[in-house]
Amino acid sequence: MAAGTLYSYPENWRAFKAQIAAQYSGARLKVASSAPAFTFGQTNRTPAFLSNFPLGKVPAFQGDDGFCLFESNAIAHYLSNEALRGSSPQSQAQVIQWVSFADSEIIPPASVWVFPTLGIMQYNKQATEQAKEEVKKVLSVLNQHLNTRTFLVGDRVSLADISVACSMLWLYRQVLEPAFRQPYPNVTRWFQTCVNQPQFKAVLGEVKLCEKMAQFDPKKFADMQPKKDTPPKKEKAAKEMSKPQEKKEKKKEEKKAAPVEEEMDECEAALAAEPKTKDPFAHLPKSPFVLDEFKRKYSNEDTLTVAVPYFWEHFDKEGYSIWYGEYKYPQELTMTFMSCNLIMGMFQRLDKLRKNGFASVILFGGNNESSISGIWIFRGQDLAFTLSDDWQIDYESYSWRKLDPDSEETKTMVKEYFAWEGDFKHVGKPFNQGKCFK
Amino acid sequence: MYLLPCHPFAQEVCEFAKMALRELSSLEKALGLKKPNKYSTQGDNKQVPVLQSNSGPALSGLVTIATHLVKQANRADLLGESAEHRAVVQQWLEYRVTKVDGCQKEEIKPILKDLNSYLEDKVYLAGNQFTLADTLMYYGVHHIIMDQSVQDKETYVNVTRWFDHVQHYPGVRHHLHPVVILKNRLYTSSHH
Repeated sequence: MAAGTLYSYPENWRAFKAQIAAQYSGARLKVASSAPAFTFGQTNRTPAFLSNFPLGKVPAFQGDDGFCLFESNAIAHYLSNEALRGSSPQSQAQVIQWVSFADSEIIPPASVWVFPTLGIMQYNKQATEQAKEEVKKVLSVLNQHLNTRTFLVGDRVSLADISVACSMLWLYRQVLEPAFRQPYPNVTRWFQTCVNQPQFKAVLGEVKLCEKMAQFDPKKFADMQPKKDTPPKKEKAAKEMSKPQEKKEKKKEEKKAAPVEEEMDECEAALAAEPKTKDPFAHLPKSPFVLDEFKRKYSNEDTLTVAVPYFWEHFDKEGYSIWYGEYKYPQELTMTFMSCNLIMGMFQRLDKLRKNGFASVILFGGNNESSISGIWIFRGQDLAFTLSDDWQIDYESYSWRKLDPDSEETKTMVKEYFAWEGDFKHVGKPFNQGKCFK
Repeated sequence: MYLLPCHPFAQEVCEFAKMALRELSSLEKALGLKKPNKYSTQGDNKQVPVLQSNSGPALSGLVTIATHLVKQANRADLLGESAEHRAVVQQWLEYRVTKVDGCQKEEIKPILKDLNSYLEDKVYLAGNQFTLADTLMYYGVHHIIMDQSVQDKETYVNVTRWFDHVQHYPGVRHHLHPVVILKNRLYTSSHH
């Protein structure tokens, strides 16, 4: 009887396959998924681990006798008994057939559909819609097969059921809402039966089927983006995760499976390893300029005699930058109240930026002949909007110019925009009203 | 085990009693009970099996005896995992003796229809585990399924699938003939 240790991160569905197989076969399996036994991202990069498992990926299995295995299907196979593997050459081949089916037919579209809903991948409508179609195809194949069968191969649970059910876990949890799964009753019956077997339950716990299809949540996605203590390599990978992959997908549909699966490990790793909230400015060193203190002065005291002098006295040009932003399409501005809504809407969407930003934005002119421009203060030297996907909705409609904090022009503009009074020489329209982002 | 001679006028009823006795004997084997119990039958028209036991009163009726055997074998899990599932098991045991046993020819169709729609989203009759309800229902409908045409089997595909699963369940079939079930459909146009 096989016995050993399974290295993994917590809640890894690939590891589940091996764990469930061990439940059926009685193989003694220790799971190392948390410190001190195993820390994902650290332990699997140590030379000792890499010498046993050159890919550095998990799950990875090491037997008590020293026998090492990587690749989840191989591990699950090793930990199975004959009943799970299939007793005849035919049923063994059928088991492999369904295990491969899970990897090549289910996982790629399931990932494209589900990952954005978990906030670990950027959403792409076209890719998601196509993935849904592919999932439907998979479901109808399974539904057909399970019409006359209780389990996928033979009359009992086999490794085929374990693999396919595990690969559908996220689908059933996140997106297969009742209306979507309704045409595939045989699949749902089979899935429910599998995950409610004591051996599955011991590993998976209670599996609750999705009630309402989860949608992409940009906020969650922004929160999931790596922060400073993430190793740089991973940060890069996570950032590239969305866009290049989607491009790839459009260009060469047929070669999609491989890259998606590769990305997925990173996605899953991110899912497992990343804490929930992210501060996009966390990578910056501390600044002596306390933005909140300035905001208090600006709100409570006279602007020209107290707030502006305070600003210049304490402004930290290393830690902060000053920007001039002007709305690019003034000809589209009609009624002034609508223009104000435009500004306030932008402020609302930038809500999370408030802690690290300040702006005074002014609407000039009247109905049908107005313009919008403002002065923005951000933490850091770069335009802050690119740091979060949440913040990218409006900023492209503005032209941005970084101001030199030492120039006279900047001094004048800051004074005029902060005070909402002055010549505003570059504008050429009278002040209408000002809005403050603080 | 011994059988009481049957009353000649109750030939048909007696068949059920015999069937029940065979069933109980199969159940004993399925449960791994080493020492077979002693049974008799009682009643004038309605022949019911009776379990003679040394300790305590005689038990009568298929469901009562089967439930007792399951407990004797320390397999209470076969009566359902939760209170809810135990109730469902009892419900189907009752269905078996009141509806399925002795059903007339014209009653077969409604029974199959019932079962078929019930089993559409279920693998087992009660909960997600094999229970005594599956065993006794399998014994009870075996003669119906034996007589079915391939087309019937496809019409009631959920019953057929369940039946096939149960007859392959380890240790269940015993005294009954295996029924050949086709996994590939012949009449594709019929409803699924």
